[in-house]
Amino acid sequence: MERHESSTARTPTNSLVVKRRTKSRSYRQSYQSCFGAGSRLGLTPALTARRFNTSRRAPKSHNITDKVNAEQLALLVKTEWQLSYVTPLYRFRHTQLKSYSRQLSAFIAAEKQQGLAVEVEGPQGGVRVSFSVVQGMVEAVDDAETVLIQIHSKPLFARQDEPQKSVWSGWLTCINGNPDYLHSLPEDFVCLPLFCSSGPENLTTVVKSWFQQNFDCYFGPLEISHTSLQWLVALWTNCHTESSIQHLKMIWTLPVAPPLQITYTVNPQDAWELWSSVRKAPQEENKAGKEVEEDSIDIEEVMSFIQALKSHFYRHFRLDLSAGSLNQVSTALGSAKYSGRIKISNSKYMITTLTLLTECALLKMPI
Amino acid sequence: MAAQQNLAGPSDSDTSSVSDQSVSSRSVNRSLRVAEKERRKNKAGDPYVVALKYFSDVEAGTPVYGNDEVEKNMVLVEKVAYSKGLSPEAISVMLEFGMSLRMGTSLCARVLKCLIPASVVPQEAVVRAVVWLGVGKLPISTQVLFIKWVLTIFDLIDAKDQLRAIYGFIFSFVTEENLCPFICHLLYLLTRKESVRVFRVRKLLELQSKLGRQPFLLHLLSLYKVFCPELVTLSIPSRMKSGFRNHNSTWKSALIGVQKRNGSQVALSNNPAFTIKDKTNSRKRKHYHLELPALSSVVNKEAQTEPSSSRKLLPLVQLHSFAQLLENMHRIELPAQMGSLLGSSLPLQYLDFVQDESALLRLNFWLGYALHEEFLFCGDGGALQTSEEALQFLNKLLSTQHFLQEGFSSSEAFLYKFLAVWDGSLLRPQILGLLSNVPVVPSSQIGRLLFEPLMQLFFTSSMFFKCGLMECLNNMLLKWLTWHSVYALEDDLDISLNSHTSINMTLSGFKDSVMELVDFAGRLSSVGLQLEGCHSLFLSFVLDFYETVCDMFLKYGLPLVVMPPPGVFYPAMCATDPVSVDRLAYIMYRYKVNLTSAKSQEKLTEQAFHISRETFREFNHYIVVMVNCLWNSKMFQPGMGVQLGEELLLKSNVPQYWTSFDLIHHPAFMSYAVDFHQKCWPGTKDMDLNSIKHSKPWSWYLEYLFTQGYDGLKQFVQSNISWQLTAGDGRGDSRSTQQT
Repeated sequence: MERHESSTARTPTNSLVVKRRTKSRSYRQSYQSCFGAGSRLGLTPALTARRFNTSRRAPKSHNITDKVNAEQLALLVKTEWQLSYVTPLYRFRHTQLKSYSRQLSAFIAAEKQQGLAVEVEGPQGGVRVSFSVVQGMVEAVDDAETVLIQIHSKPLFARQDEPQKSVWSGWLTCINGNPDYLHSLPEDFVCLPLFCSSGPENLTTVVKSWFQQNFDCYFGPLEISHTSLQWLVALWTNCHTESSIQHLKMIWTLPVAPPLQITYTVNPQDAWELWSSVRKAPQEENKAGKEVEEDSIDIEEVMSFIQALKSHFYRHFRLDLSAGSLNQVSTALGSAKYSGRIKISNSKYMITTLTLLTECALLKMPI
Repeated sequence: MAAQQNLAGPSDSDTSSVSDQSVSSRSVNRSLRVAEKERRKNKAGDPYVVALKYFSDVEAGTPVYGNDEVEKNMVLVEKVAYSKGLSPEAISVMLEFGMSLRMGTSLCARVLKCLIPASVVPQEAVVRAVVWLGVGKLPISTQVLFIKWVLTIFDLIDAKDQLRAIYGFIFSFVTEENLCPFICHLLYLLTRKESVRVFRVRKLLELQSKLGRQPFLLHLLSLYKVFCPELVTLSIPSRMKSGFRNHNSTWKSALIGVQKRNGSQVALSNNPAFTIKDKTNSRKRKHYHLELPALSSVVNKEAQTEPSSSRKLLPLVQLHSFAQLLENMHRIELPAQMGSLLGSSLPLQYLDFVQDESALLRLNFWLGYALHEEFLFCGDGGALQTSEEALQFLNKLLSTQHFLQEGFSSSEAFLYKFLAVWDGSLLRPQILGLLSNVPVVPSSQIGRLLFEPLMQLFFTSSMFFKCGLMECLNNMLLKWLTWHSVYALEDDLDISLNSHTSINMTLSGFKDSVMELVDFAGRLSSVGLQLEGCHSLFLSFVLDFYETVCDMFLKYGLPLVVMPPPGVFYPAMCATDPVSVDRLAYIMYRYKVNLTSAKSQEKLTEQAFHISRETFREFNHYIVVMVNCLWNSKMFQPGMGVQLGEELLLKSNVPQYWTSFDLIHHPAFMSYAVDFHQKCWPGTKDMDLNSIKHSKPWSWYLEYLFTQGYDGLKQFVQSNISWQLTAGDGRGDSRSTQQT
């Protein structure tokens, strides 16, 4: 019987189903957990290492404003976020957000007044936490809904009638997460690998530790790697015709003593022309056939674009940027820093950027 | 009120005995400083000293942006601060530099963050800095940061008298909205009876009417009331229990780290506020990913709302004995954070039993996260890698894996990545220990995941690493074989493993993996023996490995026989220590037993497996060589594997070179032969070792060798050589039984 079942479901993505069914003997399970340990997660990442995509869809302008609540969207867009990755949340329920709001406010109050026997939800100094789902912030069917957390509080010396101010906000999201990975997780887990926060660090710490204690998940810093930044340069430049990027500004660091920081700003039109020149055939095909629907960008195109920018710089300043690394990129569409801070200024291209960041976060997953 | 008294205790006693205490602590401090100075003189060229000098001399208004010198020096000071802590002098210099805003406000916060004292903080420096507060150029957030810093290191300030002298000055900051809570705390620590004045009480009451009954104000007022009940008529709620709220301070963890490293002469006090801080800070620590979460039960119970809520669950926290575990097996609740289970055996036993997939996954997520953050991503704690904590963590992990008799998949995934960046020496025993727990790797991946990185490490590392790696491979093989044998006991041999595992691993796949591993070890051994000049220590680890390999069929039921490569066989046979030769003989004996039994099974049963002719041929060849060389004195004969040109042998001027590796002349046994000769023919002047070769003495000699504990040799001789005592000098030829 068992054998039959497993033979029907041998593909890695379905391995989970097999495992659940063959729980007959504990010994076998443990043997499995050694053998198939990796496979339970869509074949162990170590065996079929998750790789960075080498090709991605060109950013299309999404009419995200139609789908997402304008107020929420405005918040997401106007802030610079600090990124973290999060391991999957255990038993997180999108239906329990109200209760989470209460628990987290109590938790924060308890943290703040540690060592004081003062009632937790007293009138002053109290914080109000709200959890909400950002409706419409999903792309693929497997993506869990984005969760937005906001903390409001009254300033210490505020008068009674003063309204509470938002002091901290953060959100957990997953946009176009790798379906194999998402499928491989048992149902108890919700995968929202990207955590963006903005506000005082001590509140971030408290929120993180509340999540850790309640959903057995862990937060680690997510930096935007050199390669990801180069991707952003290309992806954003690619949007120029639809929505002006104003400028393409890159900050490079060269490892010399003392460290040299170079700010390299390119005229948007020049950047666009350069980018068009390195773009490969599909564009022509597009014109000719119109069959190619998905306009995709290849890593080679990105690399040759960056290379072209570098050689231009070299021609003028005799400095080869290849020796250094890209630290920061900014255009009118957004800015991103190596340290993991990102600001997305234009909601139209938000999804593309978030897809890239989700991918980065998933790459950081320990298993 | 009693509680209040208690609370006031530490600072109260501090105040009462202030004069003598501060005097003594100062003198201690002075001697510390003198020592410090001495040390400093010795290394005046130290870049760190230069950096400090820079900060003490730098002109006001020097630009920060683009100033590499200040950056370089700052980094230097920070490095010292986080590793060893700053000396009292350095604290003074840096604090003065920062608070004076000589180079702007941005540096000030940065300076404050790295002010981690190595021993004590000079009072004068703090007083000067407080004065800078009054100048009023500092941004408010930096002011708060500074007061928080003072609160954190309060107990390390060498004396408090001058600080108390400026009590009034400090008090004036109470009206500053954001500073107020922290100033109250600081005042609380400094207050003496004479500090309590009517106008101060009035000010505090006024603030309270404006701000409401803020705990920090109440605390300070309650202390005032203790000193001068007649001035404070306010009633203090009796429910108010302990100290000021903690500030989740930036310095605490670094401070503890530094003090630990320095063997801390100045202990932090048990100030109530501090003890609370300790707890919360552990959560905040940035670099320490290796701390196990606390074992606590699930908080978020509403989230579950199971239908079977009638069943009362017992949290694991409440379990204390194995008997209790057995009794409550059906209603155990796993903790909120699975990471807390690592290292506690009772819950692990339970976990091993239930095989809850989600629970295992949670444990793996945490473990993988901790390992990755600590050893691979090393965000900000790169230097802490070799720390005691890392060592203890890995040891705990190892003992857990040992207890469960299997590795965690997350540590496996981590290892594959870590091997690529490992230098081969960092935490070597632990890493190799973890590596030996790696489950069977499919043969298609094994090269990329394991062999390539290991090979690089092997060839570039010391002999001790080589030995360690051989041991690790041996343990890995043993574990794989044990898994197999447990498995094979339950099912018939020929059922593929596939039916129970999700990975496509059949018996032949498993055999391929084992084969790859053994081949790999063979290659490493051959080259390793050459590189290390057949070092007997390394050889011994190699032979350990082959002792496992030769018994794979009989001991573990794996139908696979792999012979050692010539690069291992010949060095072992010609080794200069008798133990190695003896072990090789034992290994060859076991090979023979395994092959014989495999062959007979092949004849008996239908579902036989096939051992290739090549294996038999190799085996027979080795046996012939060994017998010829040890027994028949026919070394260097044509067709023996080891061949040397005739002229070369003649040139060597070794008489009867063909006998030079028999049991008498073999470098490993020569001393026994000599010893035997002396015992046999005592008093004989000229020693003719060849005389042992005669039938009688030969058998005595063998007997003598066997009594020296060379059992391997004994078994080898008995199983491979048929020789009659009576038959003159005719030592039997070898005939192995496996000729196919």
